[in-house]
Amino acid sequence: MAGTITAAVTSIGLAAGARVVGVAAAEAFRAGVPEGFRPEDILPGAKSVVVAGGDGPTAGAWRCPDHRVMEITGYDLRENVAVHAMCDYIEREQGHYAVQAPSLPVHGHEPPMSMMHAAELAGLGSRSLAAHIILNPEYGLLYYAALITTLPLDPTPPLAEPACPHPGCTAMYKRIGTTPCLRVCPACLAGTVKEKRIETSTYDREKCHSRAQTYGIGSFQKALLEIVNEDDPARRREQIHSEFFTKSIQSLGFFRDSIAQCFECMRVCPVGRKHRKLK
Amino acid sequence: MSELPTGATKTLKASALKAGASVVGIADASAFDAHAPKGHRPDDLLPGARTVVVVGGAQPRAGDWVATSPWLLSTMGTTERIQGVGRRLAQAIESEFGYYALFVPPGTASGDAPFLSLMLAAELAGLGSRSLAGPILNREHGFMYWSAVITTAPLQVDPPEAVPACPAPSCREMWEREGTTPCLRVCPLDAGGCLSGRLEGARAVRTGYDAARCNTRVHTHWVGGFQKVLEETLNEPDRDKRKMLVYGDFMTRTLWAITYSSTNIAQCFECMRVCPAAHGLREMR
Repeated sequence: MAGTITAAVTSIGLAAGARVVGVAAAEAFRAGVPEGFRPEDILPGAKSVVVAGGDGPTAGAWRCPDHRVMEITGYDLRENVAVHAMCDYIEREQGHYAVQAPSLPVHGHEPPMSMMHAAELAGLGSRSLAAHIILNPEYGLLYYAALITTLPLDPTPPLAEPACPHPGCTAMYKRIGTTPCLRVCPACLAGTVKEKRIETSTYDREKCHSRAQTYGIGSFQKALLEIVNEDDPARRREQIHSEFFTKSIQSLGFFRDSIAQCFECMRVCPVGRKHRKLK
Repeated sequence: MSELPTGATKTLKASALKAGASVVGIADASAFDAHAPKGHRPDDLLPGARTVVVVGGAQPRAGDWVATSPWLLSTMGTTERIQGVGRRLAQAIESEFGYYALFVPPGTASGDAPFLSLMLAAELAGLGSRSLAGPILNREHGFMYWSAVITTAPLQVDPPEAVPACPAPSCREMWEREGTTPCLRVCPLDAGGCLSGRLEGARAVRTGYDAARCNTRVHTHWVGGFQKVLEETLNEPDRDKRKMLVYGDFMTRTLWAITYSSTNIAQCFECMRVCPAAHGLREMR
């Protein structure tokens, strides 16, 4: 019975625009998640977490030689729509509670619940050497949203074989001691590969964040502080009407069109590349 | 030789309409070369681009145009819906046909310059023509919002519109009678407005347009408005006046506009409000 309902929930998510859908048992979060950040801390009685992955840039966007296009390329963020469609089905048709899992940071970079971890537990991907971005073995970079429900569903197991390192990257590491992502961004990324697995992996989050979100809330705050601290009205005027500040404000308004401005570690990643090689 | 499945263009157009577009057309990518500056042509953004799919829709409804409160149109908008259709078409072209597809970002590359002019794209895809007031008008639906997808798919292209929607017959009569048109009268360049022009037979000829002035009216509460009031606030030495500026209607509305950016695209629609060709042909009860 749970299998049939799981299939129904999954097909609703896919029909609503998710590229992939997976299920994790709520109790699976206990092993790796501190108390206060587990599904049952958000929805009492939580039994399952359904995760939806949505498409990022199209293959055409990856191919564009003007880097500014990817900076404001715009996503559907359909994974969020898919999550709401599945929540509606679970509450209306199955009579169980369902909530969208909160994923925006509430303290520093910390969200109430990690979508990356949820995607891993739901078998949709694994962490990569590239800033620990979750890679789906079929599609590579996807964006994730999740729902928490009291409905018991059949979990999909975590990946038996991690998506990263890709066989090509393992071979490259063996040959020259690096991978495409480590080579393209030695400033943010570091790691080692041993026996076809990630042995160590670290990244400079602050540096990566300031590059991936050159224009966003952080750049707005940075520019605003400089403006407020500037005593010379003429200089202040230049700062207020500068391209940097203007783009920072625009990125707040059109957030979904300005999610990231640096994609270089993903651009060189071979996972999911077959979907980026078209006619 | 085309490797597209038979009927691909028709299928794509049907999905666009089903997804919420009111109109869909396809332009030849090379047709932009004669009009768009280098760096802003389809092939500059997607190497090997063959066609540009353009969708139009999400325009104000008939009720919006006849509403008596000017606040309605200036605080409500629907443009985001048409961008969503564009994004979905780009994904469909790649996943169903296997060709590269680039959703043209609706934002600007730098300053006021778009990556690709959506207005030009709409014209070349046969979806409308430029009006005396500026916006592209579709003969059936009038004023619309546009979204475009550049693709390497060799889709079947549509010819540009043969007969422009502007000037409408009633505007031609008005020109004969009074030497002006509704849009020129409502916003005259020589009297503090944005537009000037004339009709030459059935052809509209624009002779002047104050883009800077128009921009400050269309985007009264917007990024520029925020920058303006921020500068004023920081220059204000008096604490009480500073507080008034920060909590004033102007700053508050500006912040709403930025937050709800997809529903506060424009705050002035007057040239379109009076345009008989801008609202489509349907009369409502």
